[in-house]
Amino acid sequence: MAVFESTEKMFEVLGDLFETLLEHPVAGEKFKKQAVTIRFIMNEPQGEIWLLPEGKVVCGVPEGLKADISMTLSGDTAHNFWLKKITMPVALAKGLIRAKGPLAKVLKLLPILNPAYEAYPAIAKKHGLNI
Amino acid sequence: MSYADLNIELAEEQEVLKKEIHKFAVEVLRPAAAELDKKSPTEVIAPESVYWDVMRKMYQLGYHTVHTPDEYGGLGLDPVSQHIFWEELGYGSVGFAVSLGVSLFPSFMASMLADDFIIEEVIKPFADCADATRMGCWAITEPNHGSDTLVSGMDVFRNPEVIQDVKAVKKGDKWILNGQKSAWVSNGPVATQALLFVNIDKTMGMAGGGICICDLTQKGVEKGKPLDKLGQRELPQGEIYFSDAEVPEELMIVDPESYEVMTEIVIAEANMHMGAFFTGLAQSAYDLALAYCVERKQGGRYLVEHQDVKRKLFNMFTKVETARSYSRAVMNFNLNIAPPVAKYSLSSKVYCTQAAFDVCNTAVQLFGGYGLSKEYEIEKLFRDARAGLIEDGSNDVLAISGGNMIVKEIF
Repeated sequence: MAVFESTEKMFEVLGDLFETLLEHPVAGEKFKKQAVTIRFIMNEPQGEIWLLPEGKVVCGVPEGLKADISMTLSGDTAHNFWLKKITMPVALAKGLIRAKGPLAKVLKLLPILNPAYEAYPAIAKKHGLNI
Repeated sequence: MSYADLNIELAEEQEVLKKEIHKFAVEVLRPAAAELDKKSPTEVIAPESVYWDVMRKMYQLGYHTVHTPDEYGGLGLDPVSQHIFWEELGYGSVGFAVSLGVSLFPSFMASMLADDFIIEEVIKPFADCADATRMGCWAITEPNHGSDTLVSGMDVFRNPEVIQDVKAVKKGDKWILNGQKSAWVSNGPVATQALLFVNIDKTMGMAGGGICICDLTQKGVEKGKPLDKLGQRELPQGEIYFSDAEVPEELMIVDPESYEVMTEIVIAEANMHMGAFFTGLAQSAYDLALAYCVERKQGGRYLVEHQDVKRKLFNMFTKVETARSYSRAVMNFNLNIAPPVAKYSLSSKVYCTQAAFDVCNTAVQLFGGYGLSKEYEIEKLFRDARAGLIEDGSNDVLAISGGNMIVKEIF
C-alpha cells in the first residue's frame, strides 16, 4: 500500500516539507540564489509539486511555467528519500528517481536539502504517517 | 587553424571558452606533451618535470573544477561548454586531458552524495587546491580484470567466480582494504586520492562491489613504478597496492545494493568524456595533415592538388565532424538527465576513438615516410589514438556491453 493514501495527503505532507525548507533562513536563501524552477512529477499517487525561484511551493500544475529541473518519482520513494532510507545515487541508479535538467544544477541543490531531512520525520509524524 | 562550428547557437561565452582553451592546448599542452613523450615514465613524474608545471597551471586556472558546482568554488560549466572544454584539451594532448579528467573523478562522483562530511573532506579541499597537490585517479582495473570490470548488466558481472582482487572488509566505523590495482590506473603514480572500486560481497561476483574515496597518502598504500607504454606517455599510469589501508565508512559512497548500476553510471560519465577527448585528437591530426598537404610537393604538385589526397582529406573531415556532433550531442543529453543513458556514452567512446585512430592512420599515410618519424608530431598522435581503442574499456567489450543494453530493452 502506498505511503500517501491520496494526492491530497501527499500535497499536505510534502507541501508542508517544502514550505519548511524554503522558509529556512539559510537553505531558503540559498535556494532563491540558485534561481531555479523545480518540478516534481509524482506517481502513486499522481500529482505535481513545483518549487518556484522566489521560494514559493505550488501543489498542482502552475500555468505557463517551464522547469529547469524535473524529477520523476513515486510518493513512496519521496517518503523514503526524506527519511534517509534511500540515498540519491541509489535512487537514481535504481531508476526510482529520474532527473531532467543540467546535472550541475541538480548537484548544487543537494547540500541545500539538509534542513528538509531534519524536518521530515516530525512533519510525517504530524500528518499521521508511519516512520 | 580554426574550424567552423556546426552549432550556430553557441553562446558568446562558449565561443570565448573554445578560443581560450584551444590557445592553452596549442601553447601549453602540446609542447609539454611532446617533451614528455621523449622521457622515461619515471622522468615524467619527477618533481622537476614539465608534467607538474602543466598540472599546476590547469589547477591555477580552475580547470580541475569544471564539474564542481560554483557553490563550492567550481567552474560549474553547462554540458555543451564541458564538451568544448574537454575537446579542446584533447586537441592539445589527449594524455593531459585524461590526466585532468581522472583527477577530478573522486570529487565529481562525491558531489552526487554531497553530505556535509563529503563536502568538507572531499569536494571543498579539491576545489580549493590551486597547486595540483590533490589529485585523483580512477582505480578500477586490476592485473586479472580489465574490461570485465565494466560490463555491468551482463551475466558475467554476477558470476561469484569472477570478483575484484581488491577486497574491503568493514571493521567498526572503517573499511579495511587489501589487494592490488593494475598498472593501467590513470594517474595511479601521482594521485593522492582514488575513486576506488573494491569487492565487498564475493557471493555476488563483480556486482558485489563498493565504490569508495580512498586516501592514497596513508601508510597502507604503496605505488608501483609508472608504466612504460606505447602512447599518451604524458599520462602517468601505474599500480597501486593496498595493505590494510583504511577508508572511513562515510567515504564508502556506493555499496553492493547499487554497485552494478552505479558502475554503469560511472562508465557512462567516463566514456562520454572519452568521446570529447578523442574528437579533439582527431581534429588535431586532421589539421596537421591538411597543413602538411598544402606545403609538401610530390610529382611536381602540392599534395592537395592530387585527387586521392582530396578524397582522403574529405573522409578525415567527415569523421572529425561526425565525431564532434555525436559526442557533443551525447554529452549534452547525458549531462542533462540522471541517470545517464550508458549505451550512448559507450557508443560515443567507441565511435570517436575509432574515428581518431582512422584519421591519425590516414594522416600518417599522407605524411608518407615522415609520418613514421618521431620528428613529426603525427607519429605521436597515431600512438595516442591507438591507446584509445583499449583504454576506458576496450572497444570490443564496450560494443558487446552496449549491444547487450540495446537487446535488454526489447528482448
